[in-house]
Amino acid sequence: MKQPLLHKTLRVYVLFSLAILFVMAPLFYFTIESLYLEEADETLELRKKDFEKASQPILSIAEIARWNTYNRDQEIIQNHRNIENERIFSEILFDSLNQEYEPFRILQSPISIEGQPFLFTARLNMVETEDLIESIAGVFLGLMLVLLLGFYWITKRLSTRLWRPFYETLHTIETFEIDKKQSVHFSETNLDEFSRLNQAIEKLIARNTAIYNSQQEFIENAAHELQTPLAVFQGKVELLSQEPDLNENQSKILIQLNESVSRLSKLNKNLLLLSRIENQQFQQKETVFWPDILEKNLDFFREQAEHKQISLHWQTSEPTPVLAHPFLAEILFTNLWSNALKHNIKGGQISIDLQAHAFVFSNTGNPEPLPSDKLFQRFFKSNPSDSGTGLGLAIVQRIVELYGWRIAYHFEDGRHFFTVCY
Amino acid sequence: MKILLIEDELALAESILAYLKGHDFVCDYAHNLETAQDKILEFQYDCIVLDLMLPDGNGFDLLKMVKKAQKTDGIILISAKDGLETRIEGLTLGADDFLTKPFHLSELMARVWAIIRRKNFAGNNRLVFQEITLDLLAKTVFVHQKPIELTKKELDLLLYLIGNAQKVLSKASIAEHLSGDMADMLDNHDFIYTHIKNLKKKLSEAGSQDYIKTVYGLGYKWQA
Repeated sequence: MKQPLLHKTLRVYVLFSLAILFVMAPLFYFTIESLYLEEADETLELRKKDFEKASQPILSIAEIARWNTYNRDQEIIQNHRNIENERIFSEILFDSLNQEYEPFRILQSPISIEGQPFLFTARLNMVETEDLIESIAGVFLGLMLVLLLGFYWITKRLSTRLWRPFYETLHTIETFEIDKKQSVHFSETNLDEFSRLNQAIEKLIARNTAIYNSQQEFIENAAHELQTPLAVFQGKVELLSQEPDLNENQSKILIQLNESVSRLSKLNKNLLLLSRIENQQFQQKETVFWPDILEKNLDFFREQAEHKQISLHWQTSEPTPVLAHPFLAEILFTNLWSNALKHNIKGGQISIDLQAHAFVFSNTGNPEPLPSDKLFQRFFKSNPSDSGTGLGLAIVQRIVELYGWRIAYHFEDGRHFFTVCY
Repeated sequence: MKILLIEDELALAESILAYLKGHDFVCDYAHNLETAQDKILEFQYDCIVLDLMLPDGNGFDLLKMVKKAQKTDGIILISAKDGLETRIEGLTLGADDFLTKPFHLSELMARVWAIIRRKNFAGNNRLVFQEITLDLLAKTVFVHQKPIELTKKELDLLLYLIGNAQKVLSKASIAEHLSGDMADMLDNHDFIYTHIKNLKKKLSEAGSQDYIKTVYGLGYKWQA
């Protein structure tokens, strides 16, 4: 699955931001926490120094109990465990004020009062500190999040704006069709790269269109120029046929010449028609109703079908009228009809089904399916020795494309189906 | 009957002239617009066959001139251009018929006849060939004054054959004539055999001579 360019950049940004968030948040938390511990330790140290300086020199053993009563977070106790070095540690203790267990930072320092060893203890409730850390981390996270969202939004907006000329260009190219004779115009952009891109594409399209047009013109002119010599050819053959006393051999040659010139003239007509469709010479549109076309040509095709002993069936189920050039619509319909007849077998069948938004021609014929990828190409012939022009289905395809309809071929139960959806 | 052919392609003009000549036609020929103009102003023609693309101008201009001079000559346009617009423009300007190159000489002949009949037998469009009489308005055929039943195609075929009497008509030209606009959709011409057979049968049953001759391989011929 292909993803849009903007998604790609934005995804990289978002991934990067999330990574930063996940790495930085704990790092930040622990840094702040260690800073606060340091701060707490210093406070405890200060209290100890204060004690040593102010209280210790004048304190007597008898007064210790009383001193302890007045100092809630400081205590002098017996040095039962013979602690020799001062130590600081964290511990969860029961806080009588809050009536719950809370984290404390505790300093224990051996002292001597009246020559007796005692232990000075100072403690600091860390609950507020933790709250503070949490708040700071929260604010930090929030800030980070807002920053990232802003970053995302700005990138999105900016990229969209920056890339807009690109998307416009893309859209113009996507809707461009060389055979539609439309002029291509790119909107102005002040970005150098896009401006260059547009110019390059404009040049490319102009060049291609010129080549395409001159080819089309060439085909049309060539076909036109061929009409007169063909007329001369045909006239001479016809004149020669009038000669009295033609022998069998001469007659045979004349028949073959006749066939060739008639094939040549059909080919030329079809080439002309194809190039005229491509040169947009059928602009006019009228309401066309398929059953009318069917009826109009019924006699002709019925006669042809009878001659090949082919049975012809048709059914209509509320087909909708379409807007098209009446001549082209008829060519489309009769070409398919004629194909169904031409490539049929003696005693075969043709069915025409006119539906609401499609019509289907199906016919018996070659028991093998036709190559649907090549079928609509110019000069494709299922049977190379076929005397047809090989342009019939190419013309059908061009007309279908011209009106934005669709044509499909499939093979089922020994029948060839051509479906035109409109 | 006088016919003027205006065509710059000499080889084609020669063929047309040679084909038309045997049929009680007096043919005049002009290879460009200027000569054609002089001839049209000087003489009266029953039918003018006019090529649209001429070295010194457009056939439409000549058509306009003919109509302006209130000439009643019938006009058939022939053109290498098969545009629907060209056809419509020509007919709007007053041409009687339009034929796209390449065409069968026999088809041109049939069209010339149609125009001449329309001009000369105004109101009473009857064609008589010995014991056969065609009433083209009522679309009925009489053999020895007795009407016979012909289908539309058979009548068309009979008219085509008589119009090209003494000429060998190829199967292709007959098939294309009978199919009209649908001629391009034909993939073989064998179906005309049935029509020929039926026409022959109906004519002979009514006591007509057998004028339709089969010319080996090439086609058919109406021979008196």
